[in-house]
Amino acid sequence: MNRKKYKQFRVVVAFFVSAIVSGAVFSDSYVLAIAGVLTGMIFMAFVRSKANIRIDEREVTMREKAAQMTYAIFAPTIGIGSFLLLFPSYSGLEVFARGEFVYLESLGMVFAYLTLFLIAIYAISYHFLSRKFGGGGDEE
Amino acid sequence: MKNKLKIYRAMRDLTQEQLADKIGVSRQTVIAIESDKYLPSLGLAFKISRLFKVKVEDIFLEGETHEN
Repeated sequence: MNRKKYKQFRVVVAFFVSAIVSGAVFSDSYVLAIAGVLTGMIFMAFVRSKANIRIDEREVTMREKAAQMTYAIFAPTIGIGSFLLLFPSYSGLEVFARGEFVYLESLGMVFAYLTLFLIAIYAISYHFLSRKFGGGGDEE
Repeated sequence: MKNKLKIYRAMRDLTQEQLADKIGVSRQTVIAIESDKYLPSLGLAFKISRLFKVKVEDIFLEGETHEN
């Protein structure tokens, strides 16, 4: 199987999984959703093992750039989002003090912890990679 | 950075697929290198030069820098 066929299979599997998950959401069935996702994952793993997919340095570079862009966009977005969601609750505004928008505060807290988690993972992986690749200034 | 990969490949009568197999990358990577869209790593550049039995600088010419 070549790369083109693999990509076509991937699109078909993505459609299949989205259809199953949508059906599961409508029928309120968690089991169906999990089963759909698991089937998709197993099928993709099988197709990937059969396909001759080569991960070379260009692919790795693209993944690095994509990860960099994702971090650069996602971290500030949820960081600012958490601030905007938490700010009204702590601003003392009467409309928020009544507790009608308590879910906004909860969502803000989730976003805030998510931001911290993301930054922590980045810092840990940066530290790990810095040690792995050297150049810390201690080497002679 | 410009390169003469396409010329050397034509001289050896290799297809992009064959060259890709020989240097262990995908055909898309060969296309990207030939069209100056991707600058290969030092390791890959040496691999290519060894395959064509020439110096790295014979294939990859210093000029305007192209950052990956």
